[in-house]
Amino acid sequence: MRRRWIGRFVVPAFFAAVFAAPLWFMVVGSLRPAGLPPPRGVELLPTQPTLAAYARLPELMPLFTYLANSALVVAVAVPLTVLVASLTGFGLRLLTPTARRRTVLGLLALLLVPVTAVWATRFELFRLAGVVDTYVPLLAPALLAVSPFLVLLYAWSFGGVPDTQLQAARLEGAGWLTIWRRLALPQVRPATLAVAVLAFTFHWSNFIDPLLYLTSGDRYTYPLGLRFLLLLNPTDWPLLMAGCVVATAPCVVVFLLAQRILLDDNPLAALRSGGHG
Amino acid sequence: MSRVRRPLTPWAFLAPYAAAVVLLVVLPAVLNVGYAFTDHTGLTRDPRFVGLANVRRLLADGFLLDSLRASLFHLALAVPVRLLAAVGLGLLLAAPRPGGRWFRTAVYLPTVIPDVALAVLFLWVLNPLYGPLNQLLRLVGHPGYTWLADPTTARLGVVLMLAFPIGEGFIVVLAARRMLDGRLYEAAALEGCGPFGQLRRITLPLLAPVLVLLAVRDTILTLQVNFVPAYVLTDGRPANATLYLPVYVFDQIFEFSGFAYGSTITILLTVVTAAVITGLLIMLRRWRVLR
Repeated sequence: MRRRWIGRFVVPAFFAAVFAAPLWFMVVGSLRPAGLPPPRGVELLPTQPTLAAYARLPELMPLFTYLANSALVVAVAVPLTVLVASLTGFGLRLLTPTARRRTVLGLLALLLVPVTAVWATRFELFRLAGVVDTYVPLLAPALLAVSPFLVLLYAWSFGGVPDTQLQAARLEGAGWLTIWRRLALPQVRPATLAVAVLAFTFHWSNFIDPLLYLTSGDRYTYPLGLRFLLLLNPTDWPLLMAGCVVATAPCVVVFLLAQRILLDDNPLAALRSGGHG
Repeated sequence: MSRVRRPLTPWAFLAPYAAAVVLLVVLPAVLNVGYAFTDHTGLTRDPRFVGLANVRRLLADGFLLDSLRASLFHLALAVPVRLLAAVGLGLLLAAPRPGGRWFRTAVYLPTVIPDVALAVLFLWVLNPLYGPLNQLLRLVGHPGYTWLADPTTARLGVVLMLAFPIGEGFIVVLAARRMLDGRLYEAAALEGCGPFGQLRRITLPLLAPVLVLLAVRDTILTLQVNFVPAYVLTDGRPANATLYLPVYVFDQIFEFSGFAYGSTITILLTVVTAAVITGLLIMLRRWRVLR
């Protein structure tokens, strides 16, 4: 009986603790006073906790400008990602099984083309279009639904919408956009939430595109600002950890909204359960 | 407007995505090959055709050799570690249990840390004096390492950092495990097959296609997308030990104005990736995992 208990709870708890540890050290590190000597042992709890590092953040960089820029990008990019992913996912749903299998294989092949392979020439295209140092190139990943993973997630969820419903709506004269918006989307609300959350974490964290395309300091998004902070104060650890906490906290909060679906005992059922729940 | 409507056509829904793929992936990829034969710097507007000059430069480039070596070392270590973590934890935590979702959430959390924050965090974790990792090592009587200052431990440090964000593979394994038929396990248990026998004879063979997909995906992620953490954490130092190919490509294209040369290296990177994946698939076929 005890062995069973170890397998069910103690081992999982151990690994959960290992994976939560980096975040814990981030928070503890941000609460140390600046200029303290190295701790003797492992600091599991801050000895003299202080929020001083957080107060110094806006003094050393235009924190609120960066955060506002990031929020602006996210506010446009996340809905765009959801739109593209859901349209494409619904398109996949409507294909015949053979065509669907081929298209999914094509998508998987696309999963294998990394951004790095098209860095240089994509940059050239955006430069010729005259949109370097604007937020337009930052929306490029959104037009590609961030990752084929999100498209497949939608395609799977739409699979739960019965053919008979689609045909009935069609016979009653509903247009295809109406069917997508009024019939299909309401049945996959959990999938929409999950995709939106994953899109949020991607766009909020996006570092490569701002690094390549944004040159004016007042247009920087927060991840660029964090690197800027690192270059200016490479050894001020409480300050840097506070910067990391500010970068990470929105992602953690938003993800906690979606874990109910994505990490459910049966994630595939949870994705489709919108129509009934 | 006609009263009788044609059946729903899927192609209209797929069109926006297809357009984006052509414009943002296919066109740049084709242009990339074209630029590789020019002397384009990215600064002037008139590239000239220079034939195979970039390929000759490629063959004589000592930094590129360092870069290739760093990438392959990283690949050989990081992919197995990440895959083992994603699959192992996915299978360990798939079964329903009270609080099961919170164990899974804890495992997923490092994945939502933004890349830059993860890198800055690991600068702290790997700090020789202040860092928690060396303090943990000191608990067990080990003096600790200087991590990012030494070529070998710097590479290990990057692998360690990238062993944490494994959420995508983890979720895929969780979902795939749920799709397996529970009756198979009941039958196996009746036949006297223990947990490890079940893992070896049922779970792993049935999950094989998913595992192959994950391995291939992770190879690409590891080879090509580990740019941000490596760029922020070490930027190629020390002694080119972490000058992974994407970091080198970035330096060439955006720092040294070697636009055309960067394109050439990009093609090499794609070829290396394709070669590794082909090798992986051949190996798997030989092990009869894919039958």
